[in-house]
Amino acid sequence: MAYEFRLLETGLRRAAFNMGLDEALLRSVAEGVSLPTLRFYGWAPAAVSIGYFQGLEEEVDTAACAAAGIDVVRRITGGGAVFHHHEVTYSIALPLRHPLACQNILDSYRLLLRGIVEGLSVLGIEAEFAPINDIVTGGKKISGNAQTRKLGCILQHGTILLDVDVDQMFSVLKVPQEKAKGKLIEDIKQRVTSVRRCLPQKEPATIDSLYALTIEALKQGFARALDLALDSSSPTESELLLAEQLAHEKFSSLAWTALR
Amino acid sequence: MKLELIGKPEGCKLLRMTIDVEPPLSPSSRIRSVSIRGDFFAIPEEAFDEVEDELVGAALEELGRRFDWLVWQKGLECAGITGRGLDEIVQKEFHNGV
Repeated sequence: MAYEFRLLETGLRRAAFNMGLDEALLRSVAEGVSLPTLRFYGWAPAAVSIGYFQGLEEEVDTAACAAAGIDVVRRITGGGAVFHHHEVTYSIALPLRHPLACQNILDSYRLLLRGIVEGLSVLGIEAEFAPINDIVTGGKKISGNAQTRKLGCILQHGTILLDVDVDQMFSVLKVPQEKAKGKLIEDIKQRVTSVRRCLPQKEPATIDSLYALTIEALKQGFARALDLALDSSSPTESELLLAEQLAHEKFSSLAWTALR
Repeated sequence: MKLELIGKPEGCKLLRMTIDVEPPLSPSSRIRSVSIRGDFFAIPEEAFDEVEDELVGAALEELGRRFDWLVWQKGLECAGITGRGLDEIVQKEFHNGV
């Protein structure tokens, strides 16, 4: 019997709201108020998110972000800084007692990311899990992911790149030489790819059509790979209220964003 | 005196450390404060602050061993960060002549 999951598609929203809603979903699923949930969303305006353990000024050119109207937010999950522009973002919230909840971080990524790999396969893109938290195709990164566990619940979220503007990405992210391992930015460009670049059919597609196409593929991918019965729904009123509150009081505050 | 260290040891994510140690600087210098940052995972996240706090008083050369012990003691699960990795970054700085 398939696992019953709630499916949310919440469109393109501001960074603080996106992170507020993910935390609100974590809490409502943890409290047993809501079913385990799979959410798809995007970012408008474009945004940078940093991992829980990262230092804001070390990772982000905040002046460049402000000048370009790019939101900056800290996640409640670990992992690295991400420039969110042309992408599909997903989040999964499920209780630790759920059969799909592995007890350690790596096994958990390995299992839940089957949904992304299968979804990319629906698009004709052969990809694979690259520990700790990436998915690659042809050796290039197409998806990055992050996870936390709180209140007896797992929250995992991640991105699937639809298109990449590496120059814009590097105009707002500070990439230290240690991470680049001495290679030039041009080399880093070769390590990242996108759905647009990998789609077997080469007809020009708008970002909007790629967004819709990819979400449909990911729905199929998650349903097949994890045996999910997805029930399309909307966030509850209390989840939306909490999301707005968290967006305002936590994720928009400098005290949180510049925590480390 | 304050050390700003950064590295990406084998098996770890990018790690940054700010360590304030008692002078004169040597492997046995005592840690006065430490902040560890980077794109690693440590769950529960809030317990990581306690690990940093309890590294105070350790000798620099004991940093990795003490870190691993505190992670175990507090029941943290980490990915992309290890005591060995932290030691490697500190040793690299000594090797380069801090």
